[in-house]
Amino acid sequence: MLIALENVCKIYNQGQANEVRALSGIDLSVEAGSMLCLKGPSGSGKSTLLAIIGCVFPPTSGRAAIAGKQLARLPDRFLTIHRRESIGFIFQKFNVLPELTVLENITLPLLPLGISPRERRQRAKTLMERLGIAHRENFPAGQISGGELQRVAIARALINRPPIILADEPTAHLDTPLSREFMAIMQQLQAEGKTIVIASHDPLVFEHPAIDRQVAIQDGRIHVP
Amino acid sequence: MAKRGIEKQLNILDYALSSLWRRRTKNLSILLVFSAVIFLVASFLMVSKALSDRAGQLLVAAPEITVQRMSAGRQEAIPLAHGERLQGIFGIRRVVPRVWGYYFDEVTGANFTVLGVDPLQMPGGDGLATALARGRLPEEGEAGMVVVGQGVVETLALENRQLFSLFRPDLSLKTLTVSGEFAKETGIMTADLLLMHPAEARDLFLIAPGFATDLCISVANSREIETIARKIAELLPDCRVLTRPQIQKTYQVVFGWRSGFASICLLSAVAAFIILAWDKASGLAPEERREIAILKVLGWETADVLAVRFWEACLVSGLAFLLGMLSAFAHVLFFSAFLFRPILLGWSVLAPGLSLVPALALGDFLLLAAFTVLPYLAATVIPAWRSATVPADSALGG
Ligand SMILES: Nc1ncnc2c1ncn2[C@@H]1O[C@H](COP(=O)(O)OP(=O)(O)OP(=O)(O)O)[C@@H](O)[C@H]1O
Ligand SMILES: [Mg+2]
Repeated sequence: MLIALENVCKIYNQGQANEVRALSGIDLSVEAGSMLCLKGPSGSGKSTLLAIIGCVFPPTSGRAAIAGKQLARLPDRFLTIHRRESIGFIFQKFNVLPELTVLENITLPLLPLGISPRERRQRAKTLMERLGIAHRENFPAGQISGGELQRVAIARALINRPPIILADEPTAHLDTPLSREFMAIMQQLQAEGKTIVIASHDPLVFEHPAIDRQVAIQDGRIHVP
Repeated sequence: MAKRGIEKQLNILDYALSSLWRRRTKNLSILLVFSAVIFLVASFLMVSKALSDRAGQLLVAAPEITVQRMSAGRQEAIPLAHGERLQGIFGIRRVVPRVWGYYFDEVTGANFTVLGVDPLQMPGGDGLATALARGRLPEEGEAGMVVVGQGVVETLALENRQLFSLFRPDLSLKTLTVSGEFAKETGIMTADLLLMHPAEARDLFLIAPGFATDLCISVANSREIETIARKIAELLPDCRVLTRPQIQKTYQVVFGWRSGFASICLLSAVAAFIILAWDKASGLAPEERREIAILKVLGWETADVLAVRFWEACLVSGLAFLLGMLSAFAHVLFFSAFLFRPILLGWSVLAPGLSLVPALALGDFLLLAAFTVLPYLAATVIPAWRSATVPADSALGG
C-alpha cells in the first residue's frame, strides 16, 4: 500500500479552549496507481485528512505510513523533506504568488532541492507545454485566468515528480468545461502511474469514470452507508 | 552533495534578489535611510580620526615647555632677560624667544598667525626649509622678509606679488616681502602662518626690543619635562609654564567634549534607525505571512525561509554600508566634511582651509559595522524566525 492510515485522529489546538476534533478513527489504504475521491460536507475533515496524507502535519494519534514512511512522531523537518519528495499538492485556493511569474511559481518547490536554474526551466517548460500554458511563462501569476491558474497549480504539483498527487476541492473555482478538463488531466496522470487523492463534494468529480473509489467522510469519520 | 548545498544557497539567494526587487520601493527607502546613517557615522569617525591625527602632528611641533609672563591673570610680553636666568637649570638644552600672535585682517576678516622666531633655532627648524614650496627662509638681518602659508596667499590674493602691507596697532603700515611659501601639504600647521624673524614681528606688533611673547624651551631628556617645568615655575614666579603633555590634555578635553556631543547625536540616529528597522521587519504583513506559508507547504524548510531573509538583509545592509562608506569618504576628502565642520572645528578659525585626509582605524570600521549591520540583520532575521515558524497548513485553507 502506498498510503496506509490506521486509527488516525487529528485534534487541532489540543488542550486549549478552542480544541477541535477534526478526525477520529480513520482507517484508509490507497493502492499505488489508483484514484480516490474523498467526499463529504463542509467541515467534515476532508482537508485535514488530505493534509495528513500530504505530510503537512502528523496525526495526533494513530499510524500513518505514506510512500513507505511512518509519519507519526516524525520531526517537522523530516516531514518537510518527505513531503517535497513524495507529494504534489494542488490547493483549493491555488496558492500561487501573484507577483511571481508563472515559471517562477511552478519552480518554487525545486529551489530548496538545489536544482539549477537551467534544469528548473527545462522541467517547467515540458510541463507548461503539456498543460498548454507555455505562452504564459513570463506572465505574473496575478494576471492570468482561473483555468490557467489551475494548470499552474497542477504543473507546480508535478514539478518534483512525486508519486502521489493530492487535490483539495480542485474544481471549486472552475466552470463545468474547465472541471472536465481538470479531470481529464488527472486521468492522464493516473495512466502514467501516479496515485491521486482528490477531496471534493462536486459530483462532476466524484462521479467521474476515472475515480476508482469514493470515500465518504462525515464529522471526521469514514461513513459507510 | 556539497554541490547541491551550494546550488541550493544560490537558488535561495536568487529568490532573495527577486523578492527585494519585487518590494523595491520599500527596500530602496530602507537602503537610503541606512546609507544616510552609515554616512553620518562614518564621516564623523573619519573626521575625528583625521583631526586627531593632524592635531598629533601639530603637537609634535609644539615646544616641550612654553613660558609666558602673566600679569593680573593675563599674558604679557616677557623680557628676554628671563631666558638668561634659566640658563642655570640643568637639563635645559635651549631657550628660544618667540613673538607669537594673531593678526586680524579687517579687509578679509581672516585671522593670521604671526610667528616671529629665528627659524634656525626653532625645534625642528632645520626641517623647515623642506616645508617650503618655493623661495627660502629669511636670513638674519634681512628686513621685512616673511614666509607665508598657502591660506595667506589665497586670502590676500598675492598670486605672484612679492610685496604686501599689514597695519601696526597704531595703524601705520608695515611693508613685508615674501621670501618663500609653505607647501600645501603642511597646511594644517602653516596655512594661516606668517613666519618672520622676531625683530620683524616685534615691529609689527609694536613690542619693545628685548621682549617676546613667550619663551620656548627644549630639554635634553623629555622625561624631565615636568621636573624642569617646576624648577622654572619656582625661579620665575610671575610666569606661567606650559608643558606639551598639559597642552595635549587640554586639547583632548576640548576635542573630547566636542566629539562626545557629536557621538551622542549620532548614536541617537543609529538607535532611531534600529527602531525603524525593527518596526519595519517585525510587523509581518499578511501577504508575507501567506508567502511564507506557501513556501513551507511547497517543501521549504524553516531554515530556507530564514536564509531568504538573511540574504535580503545582507544585501541591503552590505550595499548600504558600501554606499554610506564611499559617500562619507568623498564627503571628507572632496568636500572637507562640510557637514561636521561647525561642530568639530571650533579651532578651524586658526587653520582656515585645512584639508582633511579621511582615515578610519580598522577598529572603528568594525565597530561601525557592529552597530549598524548587525542590528539590521538581527532586526530582520529574528522576526523572520517567528514568521518562518508559521505552520505550513495555514496555506491549506478551506
Ligand atoms: N487550523 C485549524 N485549526 C483549528 N480548527 C481547524 C483547523 N483547520 C480545520 N479546522 C476544523 O476542523 C474541522 C475539519 O476541517 P476541514 O478543513 O478538514 O474540513 P473540510 O471537509 O475540508 O471542509 P471544507 O469543505 O469547508 O473545506 C472543521 O471543524 C474546521 O473548523
Ligand atoms: Mg477543505
